[in-house]
This record gives sequence, structure tokens and C-alpha cells, in this order.
Amino acid sequence: MSRFRPDLSDEPAVRLDGISLEYDRAGEVLSEIDLVLRQGSFTFLTGPSGAGKSSLLKLMYLAHSPTRGFIRLFGRQVHELNRKQLAALRRRIGVVFQEFRLLSHLTAFENVALPLRVSGRKQSEYTSEVIDLLRWVGLGERVDALIPSLSGGEQQRVAIARALINKPDFLIADEPTGNVDPEMGRKILRLFSELNKRVGTTILIATHDLDLIHEFDSPVLRLSNGMLVRDVEYGARR
Amino acid sequence: MNRESPLLPVSDAREAALFFVVGALCFLAALAALTTRGTYTAAQAWSAQIEGEISILMRDTDRRAAEAAAEEIETLATVLEARLLSVEEIEALLEPSFGPGGMPEGLPLPLLIAVQADLATGDPISAIEEILDRNGIEAEVSAHSRYASDVRNALGVLRLVALGAVALLAATAVAVIAFATHAALLARRDIVDVLHLSGAEDRYIAGLFERRFWVLALKGGAAGAIAALMVTAMIVFSASNASGVDAQLLPQLSLDFWDLFILILTPIIAGLAARLAARLTVMQSLKVNT
Repeated sequence: MSRFRPDLSDEPAVRLDGISLEYDRAGEVLSEIDLVLRQGSFTFLTGPSGAGKSSLLKLMYLAHSPTRGFIRLFGRQVHELNRKQLAALRRRIGVVFQEFRLLSHLTAFENVALPLRVSGRKQSEYTSEVIDLLRWVGLGERVDALIPSLSGGEQQRVAIARALINKPDFLIADEPTGNVDPEMGRKILRLFSELNKRVGTTILIATHDLDLIHEFDSPVLRLSNGMLVRDVEYGARR
Repeated sequence: MNRESPLLPVSDAREAALFFVVGALCFLAALAALTTRGTYTAAQAWSAQIEGEISILMRDTDRRAAEAAAEEIETLATVLEARLLSVEEIEALLEPSFGPGGMPEGLPLPLLIAVQADLATGDPISAIEEILDRNGIEAEVSAHSRYASDVRNALGVLRLVALGAVALLAATAVAVIAFATHAALLARRDIVDVLHLSGAEDRYIAGLFERRFWVLALKGGAAGAIAALMVTAMIVFSASNASGVDAQLLPQLSLDFWDLFILILTPIIAGLAARLAARLTVMQSLKVNT
């Protein structure tokens, strides 16, 4: 397997140049990653457990800094940004996690509204926006429900709504179907696909589920031992 | 939609423990400040009072000669009052040594002239000694200002010690709050991460912890200050009701506007210290971890 080097010609949504990541000098988790995600692309990221998928996503949603290399998001070099600018950039990225990461003491509405609330908007300004989005993900009747009272599928849809409420330019999903049944997993991915086609949101989904990937006509990046490898798989219609 | 829920969950057992610690530290700090101020003020009043006092002790002197000398001393420009004490007053002065009614029969009592001088206009000691010599009176002239300077020095040391104690308590409170904030931040790491990923700025996240610890320290500080007020009031009450020999050894304690000011200030300082400690801890922690 050789390293995957994509075309770097025009300004992409995401561009990684020679990225390496090491946690506490315990050896490299990611090694010399070069990657480009074009604006409006819909891409899968796959690979075995421990390959470094989550670490790569963490770099992209700015939860970590790389040990070496450069990250460029929406034309901006991340390492040149101050903490305030980083926060502003994070608002352009929506993230969906396998374990949902919802705040259990808040309602579905409050969880979805969180990105708007932390950006300083008043509740009266975004109430209808949040309710509309909860309806869109099929949770119009569960607006005031506390998170523990929701099923796994419902919680995942709240997490998706939270990731989308800011109308992000880039949506990252880390194993979004891992904790839901296959039918719900399909629905979630169709929802992402619809968002990508209708709004043009750049989407990157990390998943183990190759069957699900094959149902979509999208490129697949493969990570192995912390490196992007050439044997890229494609979806069913490619 | 209902009112927005707080982003940090309601307080837990750790915060109850912190409330107690802040309350106890504020109690000790307020009590140290109040008792030191009370003692200092009382001692200062006492030293100001004795500053201009001079005693003239005469043993083998006729009472009339002593009276004449007192009258002459009172004519000095630097003397406000010179008065020969009566036998009853001398006995009252000696009573603490012999006990009530314990004065032995026939005990030769000395004569004592109490002089109140205005030291701002000059020192009358040499003029007094000259008058006594001229009248052929052998006497021991003792200016109380000599003791007052010792008292002043002791008060200076006392004040420094008290300030040191209050500063140490304040520093301890800040350190405890910083530690508690750090622990709370670790315990709420999941929430902080979600807020961060949702685009919250460091300042916003720090603000959540600042407000939480500001209110907690304000409440804890107020509880500590009220407890200190109650203890101080008890001390003042006991001191004002003391009688007999002990009462003369107790300073004249009281609670005034400045004491209340200290009590009001204590929780505010605790709250501000908590706020600052929380802010610095959160900002530092966020910078290190993300």
C-alpha cells in the first residue's frame, strides 16, 4: 500500500499537508497525511479500528493540533489563527459523534440550540429555527424531552440537528450509524446525502459499515496504520 | 419554550464542600480582621489617653505641701490638670492588689498627683521636677508616654501579624477555589468539549465557571461573615458585661461602621477571588488541553 496523494490544484474546503499526530510521545497515530476535500464533496473515511480515523477527524474539527504539518480550512491556515478565530471557524463545522455527546441535563431543543446560544443569539431569535430542524429530523413531538428519555436513534437525530443548526459548511460524522439499527443508519446517511445535494455542505463520514458505503455514489478514503492508502474504494454507482 | 437551563448542571457534593471551605475561611478572615481592629482601636484609645498622663508619687510628704505643689504644677502652660488623689482614690487603685475590703489597717498610703499634660505644647517634666525641688518634696515623677511607645510598637507588630493572617487566609481561599475549579473543569470536561466544538469561545466557557463560583463564594463568604459577626458580637457583649478586676484588663471593644464594612467586604472579596481564580484556571486549562 502506498500513500494517497490527491490533486491539490484548486482551493478546497479542507486541505491537509504532511500531517502527523503523536499523543504524549507514544508513537505516531497519523503519519504524513496529505488530503484534500473539495467544497461540496461527500466522502467516506474507513479503515480498521485503531487506524486513526477518529484522530484524523479530531484534527479536522479542531479539537487537536497536529504534531507536524499544516491544516487549511476554507482557505485559512489553522495554525495562524488565534483562539477567537478558531472558535469562529469551529462554528462553520458541524460534528456528529457515535456516542452523540449530548448534554443530558438539557432538553432536545436546548441541545440543538447550543451552537446558537454560545454564539450569543437570543432564544426568541432561534426558537422557530430549532423547532423546524427538529421536525425535519422527525423529532417535532420530542422538542422538550430530556435526553435520557430519548431512544438511541432519537438521540442521534438530536445530535445531527445540533450539528446542522449553524448551517455548517463542513459536516464531520464519526461513526454516526454505530449506535443505531441498520434502517436508522440508512435514514441518517440519506439525510446527510440530501443535505449535501440541496445545500452543498461538504460532508466527511467515518464508518466501518462497508455495506452502507456501497449504497452511495461517493469516494472512500481508507486509513491504515495512521496512513492514507491508495486503494481507495468507491460507492456502488461509481 | 421554557426559560433556558443553565449549561453547567446544578451544584453537586463537591460544590457543597467548597461552600463550607469558603465559608470557614471567610469566617476566620473576618474574625481575624474584626478582633484585630477592635483590639487595635481599643489599645490606640488607651495609649492616646495615657500619652499625656504623668504620675507624681510622694512618700514622706505632708498632704498640704503636696496640694500646694499640685496647684503650682497646674499653673504650667503645658499642663491641663494636676490633681492630688484622695485617700479613697488611692485605695481604689490598690484594691486589685489586696482585693475588695482587703486593705490592711494602718498601711501607710503614698500621695499621688495625677497630671494631665498637653504634650503637643511641650514636655513639662523638668518644670515639674523644679517645682517639687523648690518645695522640698522628694518624689518619683513618671511619664506614662514611656509605656505608650512600647504599646505603640506592640500594636504595630500586632497589626502586621493580623494583616499577614488575613492575607494568608485570602491566599488559601484563592488556592482552594482554583483547585476546586480545576476539579470541576475536569469533572465537566465532556460539557466543555461539547461547548468548544459548538464554537464557544474560551471567554464564554470561563464565564460559566466564573458565575458559578462567584455566586458560590459570595454565599459562602456571606455565611462566614455572618458567623464572624455573631462571634464578635458575643465577645463585645461579654467584654461590656465583665466586671471586677478582669474588666480592667479587657480593651473597650465595640462594633462600628468600619466593622460592618469589613463584614460586607469579606464575601465580595471572596466572590471576586473565586471569579478570578475560576477564570485563570479555566483559560489556562483550555489553552493547555485544546
